Amino acid sequence: MDRNDSFREFVAGHQQALMRTAYLLTGDAHQAEDLLQSVLLKVLGRWSRLSRVEHPEAYARKALVNQHISWRQRRVRSEFPTAEPPDRLYSSEDSTVVRLVMLRALMRLPPRQRAVIVLRYYEDRTERETAELMNCSIGTVKSQAHYALARLRELAPELAPKLADIEAEEAYR
Amino acid sequence: MTWLRNVLVDLADDSPQVDLAERTIAAHHRRRRTVISYLAAAMVVVVSLGVTAAVRLLPDGPQEAASVGDLPARGAGPLSHAYKTFCKPVSGKAPAGCRDGGWRVVTRSGKTYHVPEALPSLAPGRTGLRDSPLAISRDGWKIAYYSAKEGTFQVRDLASGQKTTAATKVPKTQLGSISRLMLSDDGRFVAFSKVPDFKDPALIVDMRDGNVRELPNRWVPIGLSQDGATITLAEYSPRSRLRTISHLWSSSSKGDTTSVILPVDYRFSPLAPDGKTVAVIEDRSTAEKPCRHGNLALMDTLTGEKRKTTVISGLPSDVSQISLRTWLSGEKVTALTMSVRCRPASEVPDDEPAVIDPPYQTMTAYAVNVRTGKARKLATYRAQDFFGIVMPGPPGAL
Repeated sequence: MDRNDSFREFVAGHQQALMRTAYLLTGDAHQAEDLLQSVLLKVLGRWSRLSRVEHPEAYARKALVNQHISWRQRRVRSEFPTAEPPDRLYSSEDSTVVRLVMLRALMRLPPRQRAVIVLRYYEDRTERETAELMNCSIGTVKSQAHYALARLRELAPELAPKLADIEAEEAYR
Repeated sequence: MTWLRNVLVDLADDSPQVDLAERTIAAHHRRRRTVISYLAAAMVVVVSLGVTAAVRLLPDGPQEAASVGDLPARGAGPLSHAYKTFCKPVSGKAPAGCRDGGWRVVTRSGKTYHVPEALPSLAPGRTGLRDSPLAISRDGWKIAYYSAKEGTFQVRDLASGQKTTAATKVPKTQLGSISRLMLSDDGRFVAFSKVPDFKDPALIVDMRDGNVRELPNRWVPIGLSQDGATITLAEYSPRSRLRTISHLWSSSSKGDTTSVILPVDYRFSPLAPDGKTVAVIEDRSTAEKPCRHGNLALMDTLTGEKRKTTVISGLPSDVSQISLRTWLSGEKVTALTMSVRCRPASEVPDDEPAVIDPPYQTMTAYAVNVRTGKARKLATYRAQDFFGIVMPGPPGAL
């Protein structure tokens, strides 16, 4: 199997999971594609070495998170979803509305806080794994997660009770 | 925790379903191929300008006219080639009057025209590639392209200006990141294929009778019999294969298919005029020794058997890449070449940024006699890469 074949196999096996994370980090389909494409270019550039390591996807995931953070720090904040939650009374159990409200709130978080939320609560990573992926200390992960949840409660007051429950659970973990 | 995870999983379900493998490999190859030794490039330009001055018969040197107009409604001459323009090359200049992602056609007499009807190869706002292919008939008098207005393929006769539009619409989303188009000699059939190969099929369209037949995607159409009933397809990646489908339009069957898997990787010419042979060059590239290739050979499309191997003579020693194109006669095939420095993977810095628009570079076409291997220079062109330049006749498969 040549270099491109083994890379294709890698992409076939991992791109959808990486794309889902990229989408949560960027909140936009085109930006998620751009982000993942740039990461895969890096991966392919190093493929002769990465293909010999046990988990090349770990490198890709780490590159994804850090590329997102560095891109977001350089770019203007221009990608907030434009759709507003419906102007009516609604239940915080309505999954479509909850999704819309959460996406809006998530996109308003600074990039590091957004990454912590995605890694800790979507990918279900431990604090140590999250710290390794983000190149920071466990303490930073803890504080960023705390600030992120607090900020989400402000940005999405209708979801605040459920978000508060999560932080309470965290305290006992 | 579970609630938040469920919400995030719900959100992630909206993520795009895109296969980025081929796009990434193509972008990576473009970047690697276009690392030119600038000194060598400058020398090539100087030499080609000298040749332009000396050999007036060749459509050499800068191919864009001082001002490029739109393709006239009728009365344009036969074409020598077409090329795609992206306007923000990482170095050097874009052609004058550049239209981002647009196609230009160049007549044998050297006149250059935009093709405004052809869909540009960029999504609006430069947010991504959306390849929009173009093909030229073997006699140079007709072109096929994806019409932005009609939302499907269109064939245009350059002399009369007559346009024929496919009866079936083809969504832009089916155009893929690398696409190929083949126009039959009489302009009646248009075959389209692309990568990545999702569930949407490749197509061959009968422009006269309005029939459409599905083909397998990823396979490059490299030849069609005169009656349009037998198509030859080639696949160069991930493994080189040839496939022939006959009785294409038979209502009682899906056609008869013959496939052959080749033991090594090849680059293929279009189907030779005899209808059963292709010229091939073995691709011996590796990560550390990119751009290595073998000798020229003739191959039977049905059996994959190599019939004759020839050493090409008469090419400059710095030619690093060859793409086989139009057959000029039963014995001569066009070899489009580039002289670029191909860096081993270990020389490419890990943090080197990706090049989206490579610089324009000089390509030189030679007529290569497949019996003797002798190459004779035909013309030089400027384009960004082999995917961005089209010559008359079916495409070859890189």
